Parts: sequence; C-alpha cells; structure tokens
Amino acid sequence: MDGDKENVVQAVVIMDTFNSNLNPICADKPTGLLALAGVPLIDYVLESLVAGGVGEVILFSCQEPSKVREYVKKRKGEKVPWTFTLDVQILSSETCQTMGDVMREIDAAGLIRGYFILLNVNTITNVNFAQLLEQHKQTCKKDKGAAMTLVYKEVAWDHPLISNNNPIFVAADGNTNKILLYQKYKIKCRDNTLSLPLESVLHHSEVKLHHNLLDANIALCSPSVPPLFSDNFDFQNRNDFIHGILINEDILASSLYYTLLKGNQYAAAVTNWKTYHIICLDVLHRWVHPLSIETGSFYQNSYIFMGKHNYIKTNSVLSRSCSLIEDVIIGSESHISDMSSLRKSIIGDKSLIGKNVTLQGSHIMNNVVVKDNCKIINSFIDDGCIIEDNCILEGVIIACGAKVNTDSKLKGNIIEKSLNDKNEKTLSKSTSESGTEWENESSGDGDEEFVGFEKQWSDSESCYSSDSSAESSLPNSPVPDDINIFLQEVIDSLARGYEEKLKCDYLILEINSSRYAYNIQLNEVNFFVVRALLSLPILVDSKNVLVTVKDILKFFHPVLSNYIKTKSSTMDCLRAVEDSCIKNEWLNDKAGQVIHLLYNADVIDEDSLLEWYEDLKEEESEIVNQTSLVKFFEWLNQASEESDESE
Amino acid sequence: MPPQEFNSPDLDEKSIENIVKFVSDIRTGKLQGSNKIAVATVSLLEQIITDSSSTSALSLVNAVRGTGRRITKALPQELIAANMVRRVLRAIRDEQRALANQSSEYSGDSLQRLVLAAPSRRATLPSNHDLREPIRDHIAELLGELEASTSSICGQAKEHIHAEEVILTYGASSLVEKFLKSSGTNKMKILLVEGPKHAESAAMAVRLSTQGVNVTLVNGAAVGALMPRVNKVVIGVRSTLAGGAVLGDGGLLAVTTAARHYSVPVIALSPLYKLSPLHSCDHTHFNALSPPYTALPYMSGESAVAQVFAPMCDFVPPDHVNLFITNLGGSSPSYIYRLLSELYDPNDYQI
Repeated sequence: MDGDKENVVQAVVIMDTFNSNLNPICADKPTGLLALAGVPLIDYVLESLVAGGVGEVILFSCQEPSKVREYVKKRKGEKVPWTFTLDVQILSSETCQTMGDVMREIDAAGLIRGYFILLNVNTITNVNFAQLLEQHKQTCKKDKGAAMTLVYKEVAWDHPLISNNNPIFVAADGNTNKILLYQKYKIKCRDNTLSLPLESVLHHSEVKLHHNLLDANIALCSPSVPPLFSDNFDFQNRNDFIHGILINEDILASSLYYTLLKGNQYAAAVTNWKTYHIICLDVLHRWVHPLSIETGSFYQNSYIFMGKHNYIKTNSVLSRSCSLIEDVIIGSESHISDMSSLRKSIIGDKSLIGKNVTLQGSHIMNNVVVKDNCKIINSFIDDGCIIEDNCILEGVIIACGAKVNTDSKLKGNIIEKSLNDKNEKTLSKSTSESGTEWENESSGDGDEEFVGFEKQWSDSESCYSSDSSAESSLPNSPVPDDINIFLQEVIDSLARGYEEKLKCDYLILEINSSRYAYNIQLNEVNFFVVRALLSLPILVDSKNVLVTVKDILKFFHPVLSNYIKTKSSTMDCLRAVEDSCIKNEWLNDKAGQVIHLLYNADVIDEDSLLEWYEDLKEEESEIVNQTSLVKFFEWLNQASEESDESE
Repeated sequence: MPPQEFNSPDLDEKSIENIVKFVSDIRTGKLQGSNKIAVATVSLLEQIITDSSSTSALSLVNAVRGTGRRITKALPQELIAANMVRRVLRAIRDEQRALANQSSEYSGDSLQRLVLAAPSRRATLPSNHDLREPIRDHIAELLGELEASTSSICGQAKEHIHAEEVILTYGASSLVEKFLKSSGTNKMKILLVEGPKHAESAAMAVRLSTQGVNVTLVNGAAVGALMPRVNKVVIGVRSTLAGGAVLGDGGLLAVTTAARHYSVPVIALSPLYKLSPLHSCDHTHFNALSPPYTALPYMSGESAVAQVFAPMCDFVPPDHVNLFITNLGGSSPSYIYRLLSELYDPNDYQI
C-alpha cells in the first residue's frame, strides 16, 4: 500500500450533489451523512474505494465541511477498516456552487498527480477502481486526447433505476468505445425521437447505441480534466463537460470514452428518494457484495439474519406478535410492539414503534417514536420525530425533530422543521376535515419540489443529480419558450409603434431582427404578426373593439402588406385570426367582423377565405358556427354570385 | 450464544488494527481459499502472541480468545478461522499443563494427589515464565501441518481412485483437483458438476483435461440421470461438523442425495483444519446467503422486483457421507467426534 507515491491511485469524491432532490433531509447536513440502510453514504464510498484499490482520496466538501471533518475523525478514532489503508484529505470551500467550481478549485490546489477517479458521494458501488483506471490509461495510450472514461452499468431497460432517473442515450464507436453522442431522454415523454448525425454512422465501421445505461457518477479522468474545467469556466457540471467536449472535440483536443461494468459489479447513484429506496433494497439483497449493511458498523457483525432478508440488531426488542414480512432492518435498541407489521422498511437505532402499526417501504431513522395504530407507507422520517396515534402517512418526508399530531392523514407532504409551528397549526385545524386543507396548501410547492416515493414523476420534473436546476428546465420546452418571447416582443414593438405613430418600415425592421434572434420560421412570423396585431393591449380595454381593430389595421397596413403577400401567407394570416378569436376574449363572436375588415383592407382574397372556411368546417373549429362568421360567408357567397352574374 | 458485548481489554491497539485488516481482507475477497485463510489466521495469532505484553498463560489465552471472538463476530461464516483459534488455544493450554507438570514434583503420582494438589499447584506456578517460545514451536508445527495437509490428503488418492472408474465431483475445489491429479492414473472418467461459480468450474475442467484426464462438465440438473453410472463421488467441503455432517457449497445436497439413492459411495475430503466442533442446530451458518448474482444477473428485469435467495452453504447430513479423508487417513462420520476431542480442548468449543 505504501509503495511509491506515483503508483497510489487517487480519487476525488465530491461530497455534495448541488441540487435539492434530497431536501429537506439533506438541507442542513452534508449528503454524505445521509444513512442508507443504516450506514452513512460516506462509509459506503470510502469502503468501496478501499476495496477497489484506491490509496488516496480527496473529499471535497462544500456544505458544512466541519461536520464531514468531524465524522471522518470520529471514524478514524473507531478504527474502521478503511482508515488503515486510505489516506483521506478533506478540502472545503463554501463558495463552490457547482461541480465545475469544485474542479477549478482542485485544479488550483494542484493536488492531482496524474490519472484519477472522480465520483460523487452518492455513488454506491463495488467496482474495482484500480483496474478500471488501468483500462483508462490504456485508452490514453492509444488516444492522447482521451480525457475521461465514463463508467456505466448496463441494466434492463425497464429497470426502476432507469425510469426514476433521467436516462441517457449514448452512441459510441463500436471498436474503440469512443462516445459520439450523449443525450438525455425522458421515458414518458411523447416526443421521444433522437437524432443521430449521419456522419457518426458513416465515419465509423461499427456504432453501438445504448439506451439502458445506469449512470453512477463514476468517471475515470486524465490529468487534463481539471485544467479543462479551468479553461472553460462555463462548465457547471459533468454534463456540461461532456457536451462541451463532444461539441468542441477538435478545439479542445479531447475525447470521451465509456466502459460498461462487467458481470457482478454493481454501481448506482442515490439521486432522489426513489432511487434511494431502490438502492437501499439492493444493498439489503446483497447485490453490492461485499458492501453490505455491516459496512459502517465497525468490523463487527451485530446483525442477526432472520431469513427473507430481515436483519435485526442483537439488542433490538421485538414483540412476539409483530411480523417482519420481508426486507426489514431493525437497528440497535429499537422496540417493535405488538401486532405491528413491517415490510421493506428500515428502522434506525433507539426508535419505538407502537402497537398495531403498519410500515411499508418506509425509512425511519434514529430516535423516532411512532405511536399506536399508525400506517406509514413509502415515507422517510428523520431523526427524533414523533408520530402520534392513528396517523396515516403516505409518501411523506419528515425532517428531523418534527411532530405529527393525532389522527393526521398526510399524503405526499414534506414537513420541515423550520415550518414546524405553522404546520402543526394547519394540521390540528384540518384533522376534522380529514386533512384536505393541509393537502391543498402543500400541493403548491409539493408539485414542483416533491421527490417522494409514491408519486409518479411528472415529465417536466428533473431528478437527475448533476443537473443544475436552471439547465434541467431548458430542454423541457425550449421551442415554445422562444416563440412566446418572440410573440411578446412583436406585441411590444407594435404597441409602441401604434402609440408613438412610428413609421411602419422601422417596425418591420424590428420584427425581423426579433425573428432572427429567436430563429423563427417565415410562416410563423406571418402568423405571429397577425396574432400580435389582434392582441395589442389597447384592444383589451377598448369599448368598441371593432373600431379599434379597424384603426389598427389601417395604421399597420404597410406591415401587413409586407408580410401577407402570397397565398400561403394569407392562410397563415387567417389561421392567426382563428387563433386570436379563440384565445382573446375581447374578440368573442367577432370573427366574422374581423375577417370582413381584413377583406375590405385587401389583405385577404376571396379564394383563400373560401378555402379557409372549408378547413374550418373539416377541423370542426370552435368558431365555425359563430353567427358573425356564418353571416359573413353568406354575404361573401352572395357577393361573388352577384359579381359573376354582372359579368 | 450468550451475548458478549463487553470488549475484552486484553488486546492492544496494534492487535486490533491487525484483526481489522484481516477481517476486511477476507470480506473484500483479497484473502480466499480455506488453506490461505487458515494460515493467515495462525500468523495473525502468532503476531498477537508475540506482541502480548504479559506472558502468563491466562493472559495469552484471553488475548487469543478475544481475537477469536472478534473474528467470529465479524465473520460468522468463516468457521476455519475459529478452528485455528481453537487450535492455538489448545497449544497454550497444553504448554501450560506441561509447565505445571514440570514444576510440580509430585504431579502424576496418584489420582488422589493430582486432585488434591491442583489448586495449590496453580497458585505456585511461576507466573513470570515465558510461555511464548514453546507456543511458537507449537504454532510452527501447526503451520507445517497446514502446509502438508493437502499433500497428505492427496497421498491417499491412489487408495481410492482407480483406473476406468467414473468419478463425480461437485464444483471447483483446488483440493479435489489436486486429489484427482495425484491419483496416478489418467484413465478414469470425471464428471464435473457445475457449482455456483460456473467460471471456476469450467476453469477446473480445462486444467484437468490439459492433464489428459477425460472430463465432462455437466449441469447440476443432470446429476440424477448420471448417478447410476458413477462409481464414486468425491467432494470438497467447506466445513465438517461435530456429528459427521458436512457444510458444502450450495447445491451439494442434491448431489449427495442422488448418490445415496443409488448407493454410490461419497468421499469427503476434509483436512483437519476444517473440522468444527459445531452441531447442526446452529442456524446462522446455514442461513447465510451468497450474493444474488450467483443465481440471477442484475441485468435481468426481474432483479428489481424479485427476492433472490442464493444459499451459501448446503447442510449434508452424516449418513450421506461414507468416508472422510483427513490428513490422518480415512475415517467414518461417526469417528469425527473423536478427532475433535484430539484437536481441541473442550473448554474452547465455544470461543
């Protein structure tokens, strides 16, 4: 182990996830101290690093580094196995907000001697790191620019660890495992197409496509990685890095590789409460062997294995009539009373479970008191909480020290300690109405923030660990956003132009520049200009809408005639009118009149009108039966017949 | 087992460090193979005895016993380590007895004198006498025995395996492999039943066949059909229990049951260090599970929803085994208790 300093394998562990997926439990304590199956995450990481042949580890802590330091010191005092062979350094910086900042700090500190392993504290794995790093070095011999090898575990495509994360799609060269395309996708999204550039297929004899990869936040890095982060200060997290490298492969002279874990090696990352629960059960089922529930408990095994994956500490107290159905861990000095039944649950130390309690898929930490007749499903209850009699909790996350009153019925709530007093009030009030009030109140922030066990993930929700929240919201709906901004800008320009009686040429120029700024297609511009005209703010308060519309059309005639020239643009214009009449309430029942005004202004011609009317009938549009519209077309038909006759 | 929560104060910092290293080496799989574990345990105990500050028999026994408790608590499945602790304890007790006999002039004269003199003799025992040197001799002897155990077992192979026989064996075992190789003939036919570790079974088959032995690798499901043609079943064991029962790799029971049904003799190769003074009522050893990937790959979609039970050991009752081959020669299951009382002091059956 001591050997040459050069040969010691280095690892960097980032102690924070830089997101709020595990809030509120991880809001005031470092993520590394979150207990998974009774063992803090940091113990799993350090243990796995030792087992994987790592000799030196740098823990980089941004959130409450003093607690991490204290914990590591305590562990050293206890002589936990990893303390003998592992050289642990703790770096900290309160200012780092992202993983990119951390990498830049590490680069500035100059602690990295060569190739190193980069992982996050939420990684649970039993891989042989030294062997993987050796493999990465071999890759680097072949390709000098190889910056990073990403480590993935291949699992079944319908595995819950995939569907509860943001899964990734990777295209790679089949011979060298060089990554060509890296993209995240959403499982339940309707728009599930991915585009693979043709050259990536043409330039490589074999291309592998993977959609069932599990990312455990393990990366094998070349010495060039920290400087790359320093040079590109916009790299916020590992995804930025990956995308940046892939896009600017030639400029940065770097490339990415990936490797799949073979056979029995396990790797997964705790990214949200759902994955937390799944990984907990995996640890319990010994998939992560040799890491197990005994990992953190010194080197002594004080658990008794009861069959059916139930483990109890030797000094826990179980009533004769309580039943442990499957996958249960009970910590030391915990007490389970009569007739309680436990299933897929973890109970910490010194907790007290009352009579006739049902626990299912729940994680109960230390010193918790659950009183009689409670039913707790898929919940997380942190240290020192008190759950009073007859509560029904489902998908609830309770931060430490909170108290839930008698007869509460909670579903999908997050109860924080800081809001404790306020919450309690609401609770006692709502008990008579079976908690509906409370549910409604919390649903506001619950819908966005809630990352519990039970509720389904909505598609817009990002739960991936290394995403910063700003970035994750972008890919959801980038196109509609741009269009909305464009529409708003057009409305603003036109309104200003109308008020200040500006020249229409300038307005056209303004619209066109907006158009290029947001990359809007020409037909969309036509559509939105008309749409904007009919949505001008003055129309909203105008008493006689039609007169105002007439004025507007008259004023903006040059603008209209600039955009509405061809037949297709006329159709765009009509569709915009239809859209406006449906969406803008001040144009209710006035579709016919608006069309008439446009017809009189020579913006639209008769043929297009008739064609559009047919379309409306086919699509059964909302406005097709409006009296004004029907009247207008009757009039139009008559007029055309008359003109035919006169000819 | 009575709960023994107190930490014995007999161990110093360095010894605890050594124990922790030893335990984590076994847990992470750096230390594998029964013989290696046995040797490592004995070396660890030797180190602890050498480092011990006090040299009286009592304190040495306490130190070794404390080590044994810690190891068995951390690794309840590693019976071999516990056996080695018992052997060393026995050595210390023997040495103390010899010393007592030496110092007591009247010892051994008559039974009555022995009984009457016992308490006073203990009191007058020279407590400053360094027991470590003779104990180290014992330990060296023990290490020698461990080293020689494989060859002395393999030396008996010629008596049991003859040309043209069909031999069935289960799973990969280095001892069985050497035993078969040293049978002095290549003309037998070996049916190697795949154990829980498929790759290792296959590797063993390859190694045997490069020696020119006729090996067929068969699936566990085929054992019943093949058994009528088999002349002998040779198995390696994880541990031999006090009643003559055997703890073997998961799946072994199916093989021995088939052998018993067809009255095929079963020979179990058990070096002395695998003899445990445990009885079949001790559940913790039989319930132990091996990692589930030995039964079901994580790749499969079922891994997320299924509970996978892959038992680590099978308990084979004594009447399934016809002959144990130890370092000292063949013995029947009913004779195991006798070997145990020769190897261990009854006081140490429970560490």
